[in-house]
Amino acid sequence: MTACDDVRTALLSRRVHDAALAAHLAACPRCTDEREALRRIGEALATDVLPAVPAGLAVRVRRAAEPFLERNARRAAWPALARALAAALLPLPAILFVDFHALRAVYAVLSSVLPGGLSLYVVFNHAATLTLLLALAYSAIPILAERQVRLRRRESHG
Amino acid sequence: MATGATDEELMQAVAGGDGRAVEALCRRYERPLYHFIHRHTGGRDVEDLYQETWLRVVRAARRFDARRRFSTWLFQIAVNLCRDWHRRPPPEPVDPVHAEGIAVRDGAPDAAVDARRLLAALPEPQRSAVILRYWHDLPEDEVAAILGCPRGTVKSRLHQAMKRLVELARR
Repeated sequence: MTACDDVRTALLSRRVHDAALAAHLAACPRCTDEREALRRIGEALATDVLPAVPAGLAVRVRRAAEPFLERNARRAAWPALARALAAALLPLPAILFVDFHALRAVYAVLSSVLPGGLSLYVVFNHAATLTLLLALAYSAIPILAERQVRLRRRESHG
Repeated sequence: MATGATDEELMQAVAGGDGRAVEALCRRYERPLYHFIHRHTGGRDVEDLYQETWLRVVRAARRFDARRRFSTWLFQIAVNLCRDWHRRPPPEPVDPVHAEGIAVRDGAPDAAVDARRLLAALPEPQRSAVILRYWHDLPEDEVAAILGCPRGTVKSRLHQAMKRLVELARR
C-alpha cells in the first residue's frame, strides 16, 4: 500500500518528474490505470480558487473575544493576589500579639485610676477600633493587588 | 511583541488577557484557517465557524500546553467545530450516484474536475484528512495529531478517499 500511496501523493501534488515515480508507474498497472484520474484531481486541487479572507476579520474576532479576555486577565491575576495576601498575613500574628499586650497594659493602667467597668469599656472600644482598622486594611489588599496587576498588564500590553 | 513573538508566547499573552495577541495570532493563521473551514463546509457558515474557533482558543488559552504546536491545536479545534457543523444539516456525504457532473465539465474527457464537489462526496473523516494532507500539505504525523487518531488511520482514510475520488474523477 505504501509505495502506491506515495505515488498517488506525488501525482496529486503534481510532482510528476520524479525518476522513482516513473519507475513505479512503469511497473504498477494499478497506478498507471489511475494516473489520469489522479492527474485531474491534482489539477483540481491546484486550481481551486478560494474567496479572499474578509477584511477586518481579526479585529472582529478580538472584539467578540473581549469578555473571555477579561476573564483570562482576572484568572491570570489570581496568583498575584494570593501572593499579596500571603505576604500581608505573615506579620498578622505579631501585630495581634503586640496589640493584645498593649491593650492589657492600657487596661492595667486605666483600672488603677478608673472604675473597672469604665476601664473595660474604654479598652473594649479601643480594641474594636483596632479590629475594624485591621479588617479594612486586609480587605483592601486584594483590591489594591488586582489594580496593580491590571496596571502592569496595561503597561506591558500597551 | 506581536510581530516577532512565537505562537506559544502569543498564547501566553492571550491567557493573560491580551487582545493584541489574539489579533496577531488571528492574522498569522487567517488564510490557512479560513480556507480550511471553507473547504470543509463548502463555503457555508465560514465566518461563524472561524470566529467560534478563535473564541474557543481564547477560552481555553490557559489550558494550552506550550510544548505542543499551536497550529496543530488550532486545527484540532477547527476540525471539531466542522464535525459538529456537519452533524447539523442533513447527512452527508453526497452519494456518487447523485453527484452527476462532478467529474466532467463541458463533456470533454480531460476537462477540469470540480474540487469542492469532489470533497463534498467524501465522508467527513476522509474529507478532513484529504484537506489537511493535500491542500495544506501537512505531513501525515501532523494530520494524525490534528484528527486525534493514529497515523495508520490517516493513511487508511487517505487511501479510501483516493479510491473514491479516482472513481468520481473517472465518471
